[in-house]
Amino acid sequence: MAALSASGVTRRGLTWIVLGAPRREFWSRLRKETKPVVAETVEEVKKEPILVCPPLRSRTYIPPEDLQSRVESCVKEIFGSSIPSNWQDVSLEDGHLKFGLLARLADDLGHAVPNSRLHQMCRVRDVLDFYNVPIHDRSKFDELIAGNLPPNLKITWDY
Amino acid sequence: MLQLLRAGARAWARPAGCRGLNALAEEAAPQAAKPESVAGAGPQAPVLRRCELPGPASRRPVQAWVESLRGYEQERVGLAELHPEVFSTAPRLDILHQVAIWQRNFKRISYAKTKTRAEVRGGGRKPWPQKGSGRSRQGSIRSPIWRGGGIAHGPRGPTSYYYMLPMKVRVQGLKVALTVKLAQDDLHVVDSLELPTSDPQYLTELARYRRWGDSVLLVDLAYEDMPQNVVAATSSLKTFNLIPAVGLNVYSMLKHQTLVLTLQTVAFLEKKLLWHDSRYAPLYPFRLPYRDFP
Repeated sequence: MAALSASGVTRRGLTWIVLGAPRREFWSRLRKETKPVVAETVEEVKKEPILVCPPLRSRTYIPPEDLQSRVESCVKEIFGSSIPSNWQDVSLEDGHLKFGLLARLADDLGHAVPNSRLHQMCRVRDVLDFYNVPIHDRSKFDELIAGNLPPNLKITWDY
Repeated sequence: MLQLLRAGARAWARPAGCRGLNALAEEAAPQAAKPESVAGAGPQAPVLRRCELPGPASRRPVQAWVESLRGYEQERVGLAELHPEVFSTAPRLDILHQVAIWQRNFKRISYAKTKTRAEVRGGGRKPWPQKGSGRSRQGSIRSPIWRGGGIAHGPRGPTSYYYMLPMKVRVQGLKVALTVKLAQDDLHVVDSLELPTSDPQYLTELARYRRWGDSVLLVDLAYEDMPQNVVAATSSLKTFNLIPAVGLNVYSMLKHQTLVLTLQTVAFLEKKLLWHDSRYAPLYPFRLPYRDFP
């Protein structure tokens, strides 16, 4: 502001400084006060409810006791009641049925078939075998420590 | 815009404590009219993609989940079929190595240059006579055994390491890289790269929640159609990179831990990469116009 007033003195004369600079300052102060209030509230309301990250899931999966019955009920829901008694041999060729079944099972059990093994799921039996395998999130060292070791073998994992 | 102002006005009127739930309810009401674009709008039709180009009769197409970036939990929006010749070809690691090393080296020009004994300033005169001085016989003060002399076998001038691998080898390298990414669960297919915000933190949290890895390569079809939010988010992030489909290369795929393709990109890649399996040898270079080039 000092520089502006100095240039005003050299170029245009005193009247310009007296009228122009204080008026501009006065209006700009008012404008600064009004703007940020509206913007903040709008952004807060939009962000909070939608974009909260859900808590991280663990990769451990233990097949539940009633896995067979759950899978059978899912199959009956998706395919309707028109399936034979050997429901394990029902083929999953159709995209809609396969997607419906696998998505329902993944939401139910919290564990989805990875992309690399999707093409191996041709029949419901394959899906059942996949979901029968438990998955642990432990590293190899933790598994070794937790397992049966001979008495003269010790594992220390300290850095 | 109107909805934002309405929400702002409502937020002014309400107390701060119950703002979250009320805002959810209010936003669900006007947005329920929009079909299929909001996560909470109920069960939608799954996005299924069939392979257009016929594959070998003996092999079934490989499949991948179609995910969505619009919400954290939208991980199974559909099922996409991928061509087996592109996404489950033989895992030729030697071709991957060849292509990755070629990508690093063919652009390389090393500008290192040293002076030989002829180029170093001076050294035309014999420093002392051949016999009589007791010192070893020397012909010039710039010979390579002298301090300050020339270099005998040093790098000579700008050298180019340019070479080209055959086009089919490079194409096979891309196919093998895509195969390897899918086989190791690092490939994700997305219906489109639309994000709800341009905040880069949303993208990082999404990748962390879905356990994608530290570095993600996002591939869209063309520069013009990239959504603004993704462009803004990835421009500020170092490990999340966005490229058009023509920029896909083996080195980038190996450098980034995860690869995210859109459905249009998958179709584009399949069409371009499979054409080379059954083409004639070129009569003139492919960079000149052909009538049936894909």
